[in-house]
Amino acid sequence: MSGFATVLLLVATTTFAQVDTPPPTITSLVSSNGQQVIGFTPYPAANVVRLLASTNLADGFYTVTNGTSTNFTWFVPNPGPNAFYRLEIQPLTTNAQLATIALNRLAYGPTPKLLDELVYSNDPQAIQDWVNGQLAPDTIVENAANSHNGINEIEAKFATAATYISNTATEGPGTAHINDLRAWFVLHAVGADRQLLEVLSQFCENHFVTQYSKTYNYFTSFYNGVGNARERIAAELERREMERWRQVLLDPDGTFLDLLTVSAESPAMIIYLDTVNSRADGTRIPNENYARELLELFTMGVDNGYDQDDIVALSYAWAGWSVEMVETGDWNNPHAAKATTKLNAGDSSTAYTNLVGPWVLNFKNSRYRNTNIVVFPGKMVPARYGEPWVSKTYSDGTPGSYELDIPGRSGTAAMQSGYDALNHLANLPFTEEFISVKLCRLLVHDDFHHGYDFTDEEESPEEALVKQCMLAWENSVPKGKLRPVLSTIVNSELFHSQYTAFQKVKTPLEFAVSAIRALRFSTNNAAPDSFTADTDGYSISGATNQISATPSSAPLSRMGGMYLFERADPDGYPESSGGWISAGTLAERLRFAQSICIAIGQSGKTDAGNANIVDPVAFLQNRLPDTDWKDADKVADLFIGMLYPGEGQANLTQYRAAAVNFLNTSDSGTSSPFANLTVSTTANSTYDNRVRGLVGMLFTYQRFQEQ
Amino acid sequence: MNQPFNILSRRSFLSHAGKLGLGAALASLTDVPLVVKRALAEGNIGLNGKKLLFIWLRGANDSLNSLIPVEDSAYNLTNRPNILIPKDSIDYSAVTGAMDFALSGNGLGTFDYANAIRTGNGFAAVHPSLKFLAPVYNAGDLALVHRVGYPKQSRSHFDSQNYWENGSPNNNVLKDGIFYRTLLESGLTSTSPLTGVTVQSALPLIMRGSAAAMTNLTDPTRYNLFGIPNSTSGNAKADSFLAVGNDSSFPSKKNRDFLQLQYENLENTLSIFAGINFTDKDPDAAGEPTSGDGNFFLDDENTDGDTPYYLFPTRNKKNGGAYLSGRNGDTDKYTVDTGAYGFFRNLKAASLILNGTSAIIAGTEFGGWDTHNNQGSATGSHANLLRRLGWSMYALQKFFKIYGKNGTNPLPGAQCSWDDLVIVTLSEFGRTSIQNSSGGTDHAEAGMMMVAGGGVRGVGKDGATSAILGCHPNDSIPWVTGQTGSMFGVSNRYLKRAYDYRSVLGRVIRDHLGATQGQLDRIIPGYADSGEKLQSGGTSSIDNTPIVGEPDILV
Repeated sequence: MSGFATVLLLVATTTFAQVDTPPPTITSLVSSNGQQVIGFTPYPAANVVRLLASTNLADGFYTVTNGTSTNFTWFVPNPGPNAFYRLEIQPLTTNAQLATIALNRLAYGPTPKLLDELVYSNDPQAIQDWVNGQLAPDTIVENAANSHNGINEIEAKFATAATYISNTATEGPGTAHINDLRAWFVLHAVGADRQLLEVLSQFCENHFVTQYSKTYNYFTSFYNGVGNARERIAAELERREMERWRQVLLDPDGTFLDLLTVSAESPAMIIYLDTVNSRADGTRIPNENYARELLELFTMGVDNGYDQDDIVALSYAWAGWSVEMVETGDWNNPHAAKATTKLNAGDSSTAYTNLVGPWVLNFKNSRYRNTNIVVFPGKMVPARYGEPWVSKTYSDGTPGSYELDIPGRSGTAAMQSGYDALNHLANLPFTEEFISVKLCRLLVHDDFHHGYDFTDEEESPEEALVKQCMLAWENSVPKGKLRPVLSTIVNSELFHSQYTAFQKVKTPLEFAVSAIRALRFSTNNAAPDSFTADTDGYSISGATNQISATPSSAPLSRMGGMYLFERADPDGYPESSGGWISAGTLAERLRFAQSICIAIGQSGKTDAGNANIVDPVAFLQNRLPDTDWKDADKVADLFIGMLYPGEGQANLTQYRAAAVNFLNTSDSGTSSPFANLTVSTTANSTYDNRVRGLVGMLFTYQRFQEQ
Repeated sequence: MNQPFNILSRRSFLSHAGKLGLGAALASLTDVPLVVKRALAEGNIGLNGKKLLFIWLRGANDSLNSLIPVEDSAYNLTNRPNILIPKDSIDYSAVTGAMDFALSGNGLGTFDYANAIRTGNGFAAVHPSLKFLAPVYNAGDLALVHRVGYPKQSRSHFDSQNYWENGSPNNNVLKDGIFYRTLLESGLTSTSPLTGVTVQSALPLIMRGSAAAMTNLTDPTRYNLFGIPNSTSGNAKADSFLAVGNDSSFPSKKNRDFLQLQYENLENTLSIFAGINFTDKDPDAAGEPTSGDGNFFLDDENTDGDTPYYLFPTRNKKNGGAYLSGRNGDTDKYTVDTGAYGFFRNLKAASLILNGTSAIIAGTEFGGWDTHNNQGSATGSHANLLRRLGWSMYALQKFFKIYGKNGTNPLPGAQCSWDDLVIVTLSEFGRTSIQNSSGGTDHAEAGMMMVAGGGVRGVGKDGATSAILGCHPNDSIPWVTGQTGSMFGVSNRYLKRAYDYRSVLGRVIRDHLGATQGQLDRIIPGYADSGEKLQSGGTSSIDNTPIVGEPDILV
């Protein structure tokens, strides 16, 4: 029998009343074979676990030095007389915890440079400055293009909205294909300084989802099903909406209404949700598809304040929103006529193949029915929202009523009906709630939902945060500014807590990009081709010189069909783990992780492609003194520190033991001390394979799936 | 047959490497017969040899153009000007008991017939692209259930798919799937590494749950891991250290139990699937399978007066009659669109897995059914999707009758006969009775399910004179014709339900898979509520709508 066990959490950290981690407890204390075995509850981000003992409480406690801690159990050999025990856990510093959370949520994972600056520097101001910069991306200088030649090469192919996209050009603006855009996006996710801008760009793309191949299929009939033009136009329309969202995100006053308007005006959306051919003139029944998803997915959230009658009513507002090829000078005029300039002046054909001009948003007012539209008739904001939402006025002036009355219109003025709808929907409490919930799911964890009773007294931290976001939204000028909402989340106690850290699983995009970033360290002042890990972008998201909408061999495809700009269903790709993780997709993630670590020319490298590279030996030679290059403990600690900076060293003892053991084990499973190997950077040398194998192993572990 | 999964060998390797402790508990289970390890002593799921294959038609199939109420006057050009499936000059009101297997012209082309195909029940027809349902239907192995829905039908894809998958309409809280719960009730999930499998991009909700991992294969031909070096020994070392990682403990986080289950499922199923040949190669010049081809499954009879076709059209040279040498893309012959190949690869893999492993339920999906725009009529995008579906039923019947257990040419170790299998199709709702201005149809209510298998009560079995359920004016809940009839029974716009999808699945889960009624009440919570009338039929207490209850679809 042993004495009483007590537990003490030592190190003082900033406490968060609602979201504190409970202190660890000693759960078992048994004597067995002459040693004390003391089990304790795991504690997140535990860096150091210390066991203290006292045989006489009056004499105080001493530190137990003759034991080992592994797997949340302390083994004390030869414990001597019965003693009181207590546990002391030192977690990561609050700065280190915040930094590792922020690098996983506001960025596509840590890089060695960011870990140096924000975690290992122990500079408390550095992480706060970095976070503030991410929230105001216009204040950060973007250097990504200086570190990767691919970015400028791809951007040279991008067009403007006024550009006529030809079938025959071989270079210059208007020649980008969808895989160029995908690679451009991946290169930014990997290398951008404005990381949160990249995260939010993908969020917009996924929230206001459109599908590249639906656009190019739409253009097939206009281009006789042949040639480059339809693929290039479809890719440009995807890029154009992305570019406009980024402008909103870079604008300190950018609002949700701005984002929503970009989406509504995007030809890609008009084609994707079938507004393009929708008509309400005469007795025609307009297409409901966009009206439904606008309410269900883009603004209010499913079953949140609307019904089928509202969908039908709203569908009339969008009849006429279409696309057209217009004269170059008319690119920004939605009421312009079809282009008349001939590609071949001698050819009288007015087929699109013989016309010159850009494809843009076009309002075809002959399809509009001149009738009053009443959406949400008599509907009142539910009591659960509380103040200010239940008693403020919305569109019709009656407190709490959110009925929208759109008057009868005709001609070009009828386009305003769509804008009336957007202006109304963008700042409804339902929308404020749903979008806040989605942002919290993106940045905090998956278990947020709409439908909270905001008037109840006992609110969860999740509900409280959503309400804070809605208040920030409501109180900003102009209403619905994005930055105050994002700032509310990022500066919340919940975001800073262990209830955010590693509570989410990475999407395929996040997994692949974070794996490249993890060891992406420049050996020459961030110059192109100077990194110990890198990608050409194409090898993650698509394929070079291919236009395939669904490039089957791209890692993102294999990890669960995450084709960028090509989601078929309008709900976007899932944010939560259940949609991504199963044995088959895990197999693909693990193969990717190993393949990027394999040396070029060796078996398995081409699985992830020669342009996805990780060179761990080059990395360790830049980071460790040469006397440590054969030290298994130092090498293991180096890579564990890069891949698992937020888990806490005391929680990583099993991974560390496995890592050291891996380094000291031959391929055939026999003992082969790492210290006896000859340091080599030659592909397939024992040393190179051993280190690459170690990093591949660490990438395949469960904790690397998390963010 | 496959070897038992090789945790033992990988754990032994680890032991040989000799540095780290091992958990031997799992290894001790690997050679114990499944029945002994079963955790629950109720029902026969997984013990009676019965299996289920499901095909998810995501996007909502236009059921009115699939199982067509051709004798309903409201099925007309006013309501469907661009998408109506025309009638032939034949008498669709004749009760023949058999579905026409339409041959026209020289009788050799599959798809040179463009009219509604008579089902023989005197009222309903099927789309000409569903021609290959006829051999299955006329063998008594297929039932078609129309007007299937659920109370307070959502017209949101995502809601409605959720409800079909979690088995609980209007419940967005329940996060596990109806087939997951079925497999959990088998009592085998904690001991058998493989009970439920899907072959598609990601594991669907219908198979998801927190207490056991079902397996999804994205690409079965790539289901093995690499090491560095990527050699036999390097891979074995990597696998063993992956197992070490899986044995590590960490503080609790939201996804950690889930990840642990999925990682263990990966670890435990690698060698099972390594024992199945999932490859797919071009046939030789004569159309014969090449050596080592894992998709060598040919029909045992001619189609279109041609040579026997490949059952799973996974590539041009296996795509029916269109691309065989000398046929020059004759699309009147049986063929599917090239976009169907991925689906048929997945369907083939699911079939091989049901036939070759202990898996009880397998499934796959294909999308494209959300036909808001230019869906076409006898030809076009919807017709292409139906071609895939019609041929799937035929191909599965032939695959299991030839290559299944008790088949005419069974695969080594075949575990699933055609009589052991039930196939169901799922789709989240039907589409509007009236087309929209874009030549398509929008979201509506009731839809159609197909149920196939040797144990299905089709025509000629058990006294059945028809296996078309829910599409006849003489039904117990009549199909009312005309502009105010069943096609407009909800909100004057949508087809009204007469069956609940849970009654169809419930019947199959209990009477085919072997659940007890008590288990079924847990698997489908609505069954435990007598007011829902899922079993007996009657007026649903949820929305006061009369429903038939369980359809008579099994012998």
